[in-house]
Amino acid sequence: MSLALSIGVLTAAGVYLVLQRGMIRIILGFVLLTHAVNLLIIAAGGVSRREAPFFGGDTSVAADALPQAFVLTAIVIAFAITVVMATFAVVGRGDDDTEPDHPEPDDSASSGPSAAAGGVESPTNSGDAS
Amino acid sequence: MSLIVLLSATLAIVVITMIATHVMGRAAGWLAAAGLASLTVVVAARVPEVLEPGTAIVESVPWMPTLDIALRLRLDGLSALFLIIVLGIGAIVMAYSARYLSDRSVHAHTGYFAWMLLFAFSMTGLVLADDLVLLFVFWELTTLCSFFLINRSGRRASAPAVRTLLVTAMGGLALLFAVVLIITRTGTTIVSEALLDPVWQNDAGFAAGIAVLVALAAMTKSAQFPFHMWLPDAMVAPTPVSAYLHAAAMVKAGIYLLLLFSPALAMTIVWQSILVSSGLITAVMGAVFALRRFDLKEIMAYSTISQLGLIVALIGVGTPSALTTAALYTLAHALFKASLFMVVGIVDQQAGTRDIRLLRGLRGRMPVTFTTTILAGLSMAGVFPLLGFISKEYLLGAFSEPGGPVWLGVLLAGTAVVASTATFAYTGRIVLGGFTRYRGTERASDDLDTHRMPDVVREAAPAFWAPALLPAALGLLLGPAIVWLHPLVGAAGSAAAGEPYSATFALFGGITLELALSATIITLGLVVISQRRRLDRVFERRILPFTAIDIVERVRSGAISLGTRVGSMSRTDAQGAHLSAPWILLGALTVAALFLAPSLGRVIEPGEPWTDALLLVLLLVTVVPAVLTHTRLTALILVGGAGFVVALWFFALGAIDVGLTQLLVELLTVVALVLILRRLPAVFHRVAKSRQAATAAIAIGAGAVATLATLVFTGRRDISDVGQYFLEEAYVDTGGTNIVNTILVDYRALDTLGELTVIAVAGIVIMGVLRNRPLLAERTPDLSRWEGSSLLRAADNTLPIRMVARWAAPVIILLSLYLLLRGHYEPGGGFISALVGGTGFALAYLGASTDGRAPVRWAYRGLLSAGVVVGVLSGLGGYLVGSFLRPVRVDIPLPWGGEYGFTSALIFDLGVYFAVVAIIIALLNELGGVRERYGDTREPAPSPGRERVS
Amino acid sequence: MTGVLEPLLPLFVGAPLLIGGLLFVAPRHHLLRHVLGMGTLVALASGALALVVVTADGTVLAHQVAIWPEGVSIPFVADAFSSLLLLVTAVLSAVCFQYLIASGEARSPSIASFVIVLAGGVGGALLTADLFNLFVFIEVMLLPSYGLLVILSRRGGMGGSRLYVTVNLLASTLFLAGVGLIYAVEGTVNLAELAGAADDPVTAIAAAVCLAAIAVKAAVFPVHGWLARTYAATSPAVAALFSGLHTKVAVYIFYRISAVIFEGEATWMLAILILASVTLIVGAFAAVGEREIRPLLVFQMISGIGFILVGVALFTPLGIAAGIAYMVHHMIVMGSLLLVASAIEQTYGSGRLDRVAGLRTREPLLTAAFVVGALSLAGLPPFSGFVAKYALVLASADAGQVLVAGVLVVISLVALMSMMKVWADMFNGKRHADVELLAAEARVRTRAGLLDDDPVDGDDVAAEAEWAIERHDPPRGVQPADEDPHDHRGTRIPVRLIVPALVLAGLSVALGLGGELLLSLAEQASVGLVDTSDYVRAVMGE
Repeated sequence: MSLALSIGVLTAAGVYLVLQRGMIRIILGFVLLTHAVNLLIIAAGGVSRREAPFFGGDTSVAADALPQAFVLTAIVIAFAITVVMATFAVVGRGDDDTEPDHPEPDDSASSGPSAAAGGVESPTNSGDAS
Repeated sequence: MSLIVLLSATLAIVVITMIATHVMGRAAGWLAAAGLASLTVVVAARVPEVLEPGTAIVESVPWMPTLDIALRLRLDGLSALFLIIVLGIGAIVMAYSARYLSDRSVHAHTGYFAWMLLFAFSMTGLVLADDLVLLFVFWELTTLCSFFLINRSGRRASAPAVRTLLVTAMGGLALLFAVVLIITRTGTTIVSEALLDPVWQNDAGFAAGIAVLVALAAMTKSAQFPFHMWLPDAMVAPTPVSAYLHAAAMVKAGIYLLLLFSPALAMTIVWQSILVSSGLITAVMGAVFALRRFDLKEIMAYSTISQLGLIVALIGVGTPSALTTAALYTLAHALFKASLFMVVGIVDQQAGTRDIRLLRGLRGRMPVTFTTTILAGLSMAGVFPLLGFISKEYLLGAFSEPGGPVWLGVLLAGTAVVASTATFAYTGRIVLGGFTRYRGTERASDDLDTHRMPDVVREAAPAFWAPALLPAALGLLLGPAIVWLHPLVGAAGSAAAGEPYSATFALFGGITLELALSATIITLGLVVISQRRRLDRVFERRILPFTAIDIVERVRSGAISLGTRVGSMSRTDAQGAHLSAPWILLGALTVAALFLAPSLGRVIEPGEPWTDALLLVLLLVTVVPAVLTHTRLTALILVGGAGFVVALWFFALGAIDVGLTQLLVELLTVVALVLILRRLPAVFHRVAKSRQAATAAIAIGAGAVATLATLVFTGRRDISDVGQYFLEEAYVDTGGTNIVNTILVDYRALDTLGELTVIAVAGIVIMGVLRNRPLLAERTPDLSRWEGSSLLRAADNTLPIRMVARWAAPVIILLSLYLLLRGHYEPGGGFISALVGGTGFALAYLGASTDGRAPVRWAYRGLLSAGVVVGVLSGLGGYLVGSFLRPVRVDIPLPWGGEYGFTSALIFDLGVYFAVVAIIIALLNELGGVRERYGDTREPAPSPGRERVS
Repeated sequence: MTGVLEPLLPLFVGAPLLIGGLLFVAPRHHLLRHVLGMGTLVALASGALALVVVTADGTVLAHQVAIWPEGVSIPFVADAFSSLLLLVTAVLSAVCFQYLIASGEARSPSIASFVIVLAGGVGGALLTADLFNLFVFIEVMLLPSYGLLVILSRRGGMGGSRLYVTVNLLASTLFLAGVGLIYAVEGTVNLAELAGAADDPVTAIAAAVCLAAIAVKAAVFPVHGWLARTYAATSPAVAALFSGLHTKVAVYIFYRISAVIFEGEATWMLAILILASVTLIVGAFAAVGEREIRPLLVFQMISGIGFILVGVALFTPLGIAAGIAYMVHHMIVMGSLLLVASAIEQTYGSGRLDRVAGLRTREPLLTAAFVVGALSLAGLPPFSGFVAKYALVLASADAGQVLVAGVLVVISLVALMSMMKVWADMFNGKRHADVELLAAEARVRTRAGLLDDDPVDGDDVAAEAEWAIERHDPPRGVQPADEDPHDHRGTRIPVRLIVPALVLAGLSVALGLGGELLLSLAEQASVGLVDTSDYVRAVMGE
């Protein structure tokens, strides 16, 4: 029960942070979400057996080793992605904001010289963040 | 000549002519004309074989057997008639083009000939196709040809071309839908078989549906109301194009389709009502509009619409005689309309304008052209003794006895009379307007000043007017010699009617109702012409408040604005929007799950130790404030704390290695994030309270579902078979005692390989990104108030930790190597050891007094590479014993006795070690901003242009 | 033949990872990188071709990696379906890489290694029959993609790139959770062992979590929006690569799970059918609304995802075959069109429909490629799009889903509308006076490695434009000046940038006229999905 609740708490906190604004919060949110999933996977192996799986141990109480291997892999992968996200958060313009208050200019993909933009009827749709 | 060869021959003509244009320019038209003419003869030669009702030449070559699609070709009376029209008129138009086109550039006309002849090819395929899918393919090909023919004629052509394509493509899709429905219903793709299927009689609904779709397709092609607009719209194309499209190709495709499906649909009410009503409306409307136009070509366009309206209505009537008459009328129309268009082209070229307000007095100057116009015109107006007269006679006849109530006959015949009268009138408008002083109206138009008719206008060269005269002359000849047409037209009629019917047209059938009607038409027509000036004023007023073009445009812009709105649902980079979308799916899934209310197994409840509750509490203590805080650093620390609690959870659940890894990874994550926090504002961005509430709701929902899921899904079965296998066999299989580690490096080394690749690539990505874009500037706190205090002397302040680091770092690194070696047997292994080593480096890094003196400046790029390479190589080594990543085991005797159970898995683990250590060093250097300050010479010089020079 | 091949399956992962890893230490000599990279991709393609040939008769090649007992080690499986996609993805990667080389983008270090590692990840994801291993390979695909995304993006703002990472991470996390739930219930993550497991509603729900996660990656409505944003934010060539690899691998997984675990269970398939239909409608309309060529195309791609998923949702042999045929066609044509867009954007400095015009007279080759792509996309004969779309419509009607068939037909018209919008504005239309300035600015920025919101010196641009107009004569056979500001002088697209798109367009024509090849391959692939017993037998070795 406590485990299930812990997973719930981590999930709720994670989701909340992920839906906030700013990369750091989103990153931290994902860290928590990953914890939740990892615990879930361990739980998937069954929590009735809690002995560390080593050869020579009592196989009747030893935990399922496979989920542990999964989680170990998952943790490291999550770490790699986290640091990449962290890098993305500190390059670019401004700060780690993820919700530009002002719509980016329409032709940011294809910036023409502003002088050239004159005379061309300027589209309005692609880029208004509404 | 077999049909396949015939079809390929038309294609060959395309290629040959294209090549020829590069040599002889426009004269290539003669070549094409010769080719098409000879093919016409070939077809004519085979006609006798298919004159008997029910007989046909059939050939088939497989194309896509999987879907039972084949090149099934079938020549019967109907297709023979149309084939002769398509090829014959094609030949004439080609000959005409050879003179019409400018001889300015040799290369200019390749495209023109290519598309025109492709059109001939597509039409040939269309009328020969006996496979529903093939029929659709050629149908769409004609659409494409017309699109490109129109589109390539100048800048003004763009919009009309696109409109034409959209309208006709819509019809095409209707046909596609019909084809698919027929195939699924009748189970055959063969047209002639599908049309004989009993389903047409048995299932009225099905027949009605198909009738609507096919009628839609045909009406778009044949420019029937309300899809008539594209035709006059497409007048921008050169005159020969119009001549071909209007007389033989594009619009006749629609007629052919209607006649083709008549055997199955002729008696369907929907079919009849759609065709008759639309046809007659079009006939009258077209004719009336023609009376309002000044451009000869435009008058022709509306005339085509009107004439086709009559034919469509005829097909709608559907009696054998009506269908046969329709076939005859199609032929007659092909002849006079081709001729008339070519005449317009000639006038345009010789007199430099097509505007009847400018044209005057050509009668004397261009006698041949004038005669041609008269001949063709009278045939169109239905005057004795031309072919047009006969077809008009029998048309009126068919309308007067449509079967059904008398008033219907009266109505139809009456409308036909009105349309025909208007036809007579606009024929007069053409002849008088084009060749006499008649201007259509006194009103002068501004664009008239720009154009002026040259004072000297000469008759065209014989080579130019001959092609125009020929069909007109045929119209004159075939009137009296109508009997020659009986076999072919009769066969066509029988094929369309689906029952034997022998045509018996007569130039003079005695004093009949039809004759009377014809007389009326001619008299009325003459009246209208004599009163033309008065009537012109009437017609000048706009009849409809909107044009059909407006409608199409409105539909298009409507679709576009709708699209813009649909797109703006997601047109934002705000992550909140995109990251909350998935929860909709999951919410729906949860609801579904609750409805399914699955039956669950028994829970194996071990009765959890009290420590679990403690862990939960600890978690709450760290997580809740982490969510609430507004400062980045606090949040980071608290989340880190949560990570440690999770590690404790792992220990509590018997996952030692996982716990260790979790601890170390958490440590490094915190270090990495601390490094970047220096470059970000101290507090988070504000978000609206409402937003917070909404997200909180989603979050709590998600949390609840997660808890529920855990309770429902987990703990209801004993250890899995594979889990049991590992517990029992791991040592035997691998010689390792640390089962988790054996899974990582022996059983599921492939996962681990992927994972170390992920790590390594992450390192490379970070380096690459930072070479393209600068880090954000550091936000150094204001230190002025500490001026002079020892706090600012980093070198001194870091002394203790440096002392520690100096001794600790090597020890830690040794320790990590030890962990690596024993990983297979005790807790440890590649990750843990590398992470431990990594923390050693991290410690050393933190100990450095300035970023610049970061102690570890190794070639971590190389180390990252080494990680992957070593990993894969040890994997390839596995092939020695049979498979990728299969571990090789050797027992190495140790000098001090005993032996070390060496396994290639260790080398693999070494790869992991390299990758993980490397990324840690990379992080410290890259995010720590070392390279930012002191550059990095190991990076190959960025090639100009692509790399950001920073 | 078989027996020798199976153990080699892991090389579709091993070889690219090895070369990619070696290329991390980017040799100064970028030519070497190009040769190694292209060599690897071509090798992968030829290997895949061999697999297609071997599996064409329905053979299923399976190998227990590292030779542990069935159910313990990770199985690699190649059947007609995975082989076909392996081939198409390899070909696409090669073509896109060729474009990156031609455009000079591949010169920047580690691009080659990223592309290769990505290809390796695709190989693993297509071949593995183990859900957790699948998760790992999805990540192996994603990380190099992050690199390509940002390094080749010319945008100053990071919005798009950040969004790409977070959305994909969310999807992966969900997928992992789904895998965990499946393991919790069934005690295995081996696809073959999970065959038909969805009879148990609990497992079905767990598997559905995985499907939901995959739906995010595949950009199925309502989680489609991120794709249009992120693909428009990076280099167009990268977008072409991703559209062929990422979304389609996601769709492949969708097919595999629906077939093996769900065995086409009716209610779930109906749900998928509804989502797919909405996706294809929304995508098509959103595309018509766009005013830049790339977002327009990307929405077309989303619409295409809907079309493809209709195939599996019908879950009749014909339906699945049609869906697979459509998938192959769509990968090729979308790649072609997006590469056309890249050539335009990178040469003329803008992808906006109202900025670039008159390409038809200037760029005959490019026009050819676009026309083929556009008509094929709209499903007109004689291109691959027609064969695929006809098969799909037929399948829908055949499965009694006449309404869906009607929707497919109507949406084709909408697709044609959007293509015609591009045609009328960019290819017809008359060139704007500032077109040379745009092109010149693009070149100046590229040369200096400036991002789109860095300031650029106007004089340099003007000078560059002058130089271009001086230097380029009007294209052959074009009469000077019909209202063209520069008498058709000035910047033209270099042929080397058009060739990749032309190659793919050629493929589309070939698969249209030779539709039988496409259809028979797809049919063979569908057989293994309708009846998964061979697959299971091969993996579990019974």
